[in-house]
Amino acid sequence: MIGELTRRDLIKAHAAGIAAATAGIALPAGAQPVPGGVESLEIKWSKAPCRFCGTGCGVMVGVKEGQVVATHGDMQAEVNRGLNCIKGYFLSKIMYGEDRLKTPLLRKRNGKYAKDGEFEPVSWDEAFDVMADQCKKVLKEKGPTAVGMFGSGQWTIFEGYAATKLMRAGFRSNNLDPNARHCMASAAYAFMRTFGMDEPMGCYDDFENADAFVLWGSNMAEMHPILWTRLADRRLGHQHVKVAVLSTFTHRSMDLADIPVIFTPGTDLAILNYIANHIITSGKVNEEFVRNHTTFMKGVTNIGYGLRPEDPLELKAANAANPANMEPTDFESFKKFVSDYTLEKVADLTGADPGFLQQLADLYADPNRKVMSLWTMGFNQHVRGVWANHMLYNLHLLTGKISEPGNGPFSLTGQPSACGTAREVGTFAHRLPADMTVTNPEHRHHAEEIWKLPEGLLPDKPGYHAVQQDRMLKDGKLSFYWVQVNNNVQAAPNTKNETYQGYRNPDNFIVVSDAYPTITAMSADLILPAAMWVEKEGAYGNAERRTHVWHQLVQAPGEARSDLWQLVEFSKRFTTDEVWPAEMLDKHPDYRGKTLFEVLFKNGQVDQFPLSEVDKSYPNNEAYAFDFYIQKGLFEEYASFGRGHGHDLAPYDRYHQERGLRWPVVNGQETKWRYREGYDPYVKAGEGVKFYGRPDGRAVILAVPYEPPAESPDNEYDFWLVTGRVLEHWHSGSMTMRVPELYKAFPGARCFMNADDARKRGFNQGMEVRIVSRRGEIRSRVETRGRNRMPPGVIFVPWFDASQLINKVTLDATDPISKQTDYKKCAVKILPVA
Amino acid sequence: MPEKANRHYISSAVIVVRPEAEERVVRDLMAMERVEVHAIQGGKIVVVIEGASSGELGASLAAISAIDGVVAANMVFEHSENVEAMSDDRRIDAA
Repeated sequence: MIGELTRRDLIKAHAAGIAAATAGIALPAGAQPVPGGVESLEIKWSKAPCRFCGTGCGVMVGVKEGQVVATHGDMQAEVNRGLNCIKGYFLSKIMYGEDRLKTPLLRKRNGKYAKDGEFEPVSWDEAFDVMADQCKKVLKEKGPTAVGMFGSGQWTIFEGYAATKLMRAGFRSNNLDPNARHCMASAAYAFMRTFGMDEPMGCYDDFENADAFVLWGSNMAEMHPILWTRLADRRLGHQHVKVAVLSTFTHRSMDLADIPVIFTPGTDLAILNYIANHIITSGKVNEEFVRNHTTFMKGVTNIGYGLRPEDPLELKAANAANPANMEPTDFESFKKFVSDYTLEKVADLTGADPGFLQQLADLYADPNRKVMSLWTMGFNQHVRGVWANHMLYNLHLLTGKISEPGNGPFSLTGQPSACGTAREVGTFAHRLPADMTVTNPEHRHHAEEIWKLPEGLLPDKPGYHAVQQDRMLKDGKLSFYWVQVNNNVQAAPNTKNETYQGYRNPDNFIVVSDAYPTITAMSADLILPAAMWVEKEGAYGNAERRTHVWHQLVQAPGEARSDLWQLVEFSKRFTTDEVWPAEMLDKHPDYRGKTLFEVLFKNGQVDQFPLSEVDKSYPNNEAYAFDFYIQKGLFEEYASFGRGHGHDLAPYDRYHQERGLRWPVVNGQETKWRYREGYDPYVKAGEGVKFYGRPDGRAVILAVPYEPPAESPDNEYDFWLVTGRVLEHWHSGSMTMRVPELYKAFPGARCFMNADDARKRGFNQGMEVRIVSRRGEIRSRVETRGRNRMPPGVIFVPWFDASQLINKVTLDATDPISKQTDYKKCAVKILPVA
Repeated sequence: MPEKANRHYISSAVIVVRPEAEERVVRDLMAMERVEVHAIQGGKIVVVIEGASSGELGASLAAISAIDGVVAANMVFEHSENVEAMSDDRRIDAA
């Protein structure tokens, strides 16, 4: 009887009841959730998306006495239906690390800024004074191309949008790039090149509709645990469902694999072309679909590796200067092109089991099997990452398995707003909002109109991408540099020779905004303390095009301020006369003498929503600081880029009520599958399927070959180095390493290694070794057991650990089209510590 | 969330297992301290985990994740409050 229960029993029954409801299973009658049992607590619960990965789980955040005291999975969130992974479980702790930054810190000597000085606390006024002086000095001496910013897929939509306005329209520099360049640039480029529009056509509902899942270079079990749970539910609940997992080593996701495929690094390209060949030779091409909805192209080859231009590999590459070129071809030529990729040859090249390769190819070829392909960094951090993405689209397009429930290629993302901010807002060096580009005069003109700025103001050359920014910092061509919400001295490749040298180059002034003293912050000249997550109102966009908004729930500690406040407040320190060309102001004298704050943010648009529209039951520091509802103003101005153009967003206020909505949102309805009649309002009756992002409405099937990685093992450097992540830590660990329990669960990086390889070299489990490449070295400890099982000749080292900077060892080779670094393939040797 | 002393934490989790491993995983779970199995159905197990800190709960979840045959282990609900309130023998009339 309930009346006999203690409070503790009651809470336990309530907890079990909620879990059972979440899992869709029945509990014994005596253990149903008790209404009103736990709700009596004095905790205010509000919704927010999780701060970590790109899955975009909904969480309920409990606030008591001004502090976040608890979080749990949001039962009303479709993405996770109440579940919470281990990182999400500790979400409430990420804001309360002991070393939170609470005041600006400037390098000083004798009371003045000095590059070689020590960090001293300063006021925001002094910080911005010095920062503005440095920025103006660089603008005067070197021009706008020497000013740059490195942002993030963890920026809120407003922050990314404010940054793109400040950099491109304010400082007239396109040297704005997000850390998402390291994460999914290859996916974004391939979406644009294939479909003319970025981001997946399908959504997470595909998990409950597919008959087969294929993971290409993704360890979802550790990196996307909630989506993995949805996938596992489908697989374990339906006998006919198959899972194929492709990787260069055995990891946790292989536990569920019916078809495990381990291949030699880089040879996934050959596997993809073999599958295309298999589909064609076994007569399984969906001819009607291919005839009506696709077009064939052939890409240029021998495109180099995105290294510095004087590198011998670049000098040898015939098409390093124009790697993105494609020319039209036809089905017969494509068929002939992939016919080289026979099962025998590909099994030989890849080292993969031919039986499994054939089973994998049959999953795609079988017309009665719906296939969802999933990928993350194995595909994207690849010197041929754009090709790999294209080659996968080829398989879905040849078979017509796309844009319908259960059928589709689905690019997973690693950051909470890689899609929402980095891609949709357009914070890449070549992009503008809503898939527009800076090189297109009509797009620039359209942006100038929406932003109410003089015609011809926006610069037309793409800026420096992430890796190029580091090279230009080192070379002294980029000299004023602002970093927000990322940890690039830990994350960038070949950091010892490139990134770190650029930060400490005496010509440069480096500003880092962060919540914690990361290694990047400590490499800067000025550190600005940042408010994070629910310490500000925010909006993120997840991997399935879902835009999700949250309220500010608590106050940041000390003097910490949101990135939005920092960007907008800093804009007040510049007038148009200081940053825009005189001839432009002569032509448009109305803009003369105005601050960048006035022309970019108090422009009659961003400031049109008064404070009375702010929900009084929540704090909103930025709105009260600037005296208008700035988040709503920025969102609505930004949304005007996409409405009516396939990127429609709902009115801002609605997002406060919803657990996110998937764009395009047309007539109040979200869109789950794009490009197909009946699902997508942009496809008219009778059109069936239309890839309307491209002028001809057809998606591209691209013929490109296998080409080898930039660096492969040889006699001296005899191991492949693969870097990546682990379940317990998120990216560089700047948040999760500060959660004691997550730190304890996985305190230091390890060198995962094949047991025979270790034995032959006399290394025991746990022994300290040197991992040495042509660029640098670190020490780590040998791990021959545990969650990752390595094949001979391959090691895996995670990059979350700032005390073992594996990126001193990695190579700064990128995909030449997407400019995304390949962190998965370089050559190292393993030596004992003498 | 700075953890205060004298608090008691209760959380529930859903564990997904490979069907052939279900029985063995349940046995392992029952042998764990501070872990109670509340329901089992079709490869899914509902457990309640208790402890003196969310760290203890997280450690239990991490240990559960590592059991052979476990495909996924995710938290669902967490509650914490002062030990005095929790251990209060006073009967509660939830109705």
